[in-house]
Amino acid sequence: MTNNFYREQLMEIYKNPAHLGTLATPTVQVHEVNPMCGDEITLQLSIQDGKIVDAKFAGSACAVSIVSSELLLEDIKGKTLQEAKQITKEKLLNLIGITLTTSRVRCATLSLEALNNAIKKYENTK
Amino acid sequence: MSQINVKTLKQDFPILSRKIGEHNLVYLDSAATSQKPQKVIDAIVDYYSNHNANVHRGAHVLGDEATELYEAARKKTATFIGARIPQEVIFTKNTTEALNMVARGYALKNLTKDDIILTTGAEHNSNLLPWLAICKQIGAKLEFLTITDAGDISLAELKAKLNPKVKFLVIFHASNVLGTILPVKEICDLAHQYDTKVVVDGSQAVPHLLVNMQSLGCDFYAFSGHKMLGPMGIGVLWGREELLNQTEPVAFGGGMILEFDLVNPRWMQVPDKFEAGTPNVAGAVGLGVAIDYLTSVGMENVRAHELELNDYALKQLANVPDLVILGSQDPKKRTGLVSFTVNSIHAHDIAAVLSEQGICVRSGMHCAMKFHKDLDLAASVRASFYVYNSNEDIDRLVQGLYKAIKVLKK
Repeated sequence: MTNNFYREQLMEIYKNPAHLGTLATPTVQVHEVNPMCGDEITLQLSIQDGKIVDAKFAGSACAVSIVSSELLLEDIKGKTLQEAKQITKEKLLNLIGITLTTSRVRCATLSLEALNNAIKKYENTK
Repeated sequence: MSQINVKTLKQDFPILSRKIGEHNLVYLDSAATSQKPQKVIDAIVDYYSNHNANVHRGAHVLGDEATELYEAARKKTATFIGARIPQEVIFTKNTTEALNMVARGYALKNLTKDDIILTTGAEHNSNLLPWLAICKQIGAKLEFLTITDAGDISLAELKAKLNPKVKFLVIFHASNVLGTILPVKEICDLAHQYDTKVVVDGSQAVPHLLVNMQSLGCDFYAFSGHKMLGPMGIGVLWGREELLNQTEPVAFGGGMILEFDLVNPRWMQVPDKFEAGTPNVAGAVGLGVAIDYLTSVGMENVRAHELELNDYALKQLANVPDLVILGSQDPKKRTGLVSFTVNSIHAHDIAAVLSEQGICVRSGMHCAMKFHKDLDLAASVRASFYVYNSNEDIDRLVQGLYKAIKVLKK
């Protein structure tokens, strides 16, 4: 792992996140905030037969949060809810592939918190 | 012109000579907490090495020395802020604790349903949430004075909003986001026409301006030691003696009781009734030495120096493309801080890229969530200055910002 978040590859993701946007008909939607830095994201999932078929995120977020959301959503597409639930904080940080400073870990895990809450919300309404 | 020689003065602060990677540290986050001069650090070490004992208790040499040091710090603090008597200075953990003490110990019993607490739209959470909490508890209303584009409040709006139902006016002296210095004296004169009590959050003012409780005319005033070169964990609540006498303690325990009785226990006089438990004696001693340090520099020099830094920073930052400065463009209307946003780049990212270059600034909402929400700002960057900062620090900031923008611009 390198410790420079602002290296080119991640900056490309930050500048053009494929999963930034909104779904026309999301199955479930959650809104999460990080009071430390004011990040807020809305996460939408489209779920069919227990599988995440599409996912989008939107909101006002820092680069770490955007990159983390993008990599997470890319990763969960096509996964079952059970598989998505297995993603831990460590797995997500590995996906990002760099060592984050203490204050940035919260930024990175906001998307995972949103994902877990979205799955919970979906399962509760079923 | 200020009389401060930053190069010499900087040597008093050991942390300022450290490096971040290969970069010299540039510390621009003094509004969050200031750095400490060696004298303050030494005073704390000396206290624990030579005088440590519990205060106001055992009749032994160390107990006496600790008590004398603690009370001397109180006296020094009282003189520094122009308190009428030292007993008007209550040592707390910080500003937050002090403001909660006023809200819960005084305001709560002087507030009824449908009364109003008037405040501004740019308060720090520490001067907003305690009032919101008691309003919810009592059913009283919290009303807000608008923050203008120049980062100020309008005295005309204040006049229009004051009425006998407004029992408390709760304001910052200097804003932690905008730096704006409010005309507390004028505000108090207006409020007192309706017998409205004025509670002031002075945490961003006392480190930077010469304050005097007599001439300000407010009823309660709170500030923190750690923002004025002192240690963390020591703060001050100042109140007018007659009001402190009417204030209930909110913490109960050792050192605050005069006579034990299950039905009618009697509390000590001020300030002891508010200082239950073992106080932060080393913190108070450290604060006293910080006050000595500021006094030897001269608060008028501190102010003059920060005005020069403000003037330079506002000019230099205005040249940075896409950068928007929050609040007044007039350096005189501010304490030494500038908050800004850079179009489409998140404040947290700017701070992180600056940090890689050894530059420490604050990013986020600076605990002023309501203010940022009202302006629809996710976050802002704040560079704050103190006696040890120089124009070179601002140059480093500006260079760092150009780099951050280059990396982060979409």
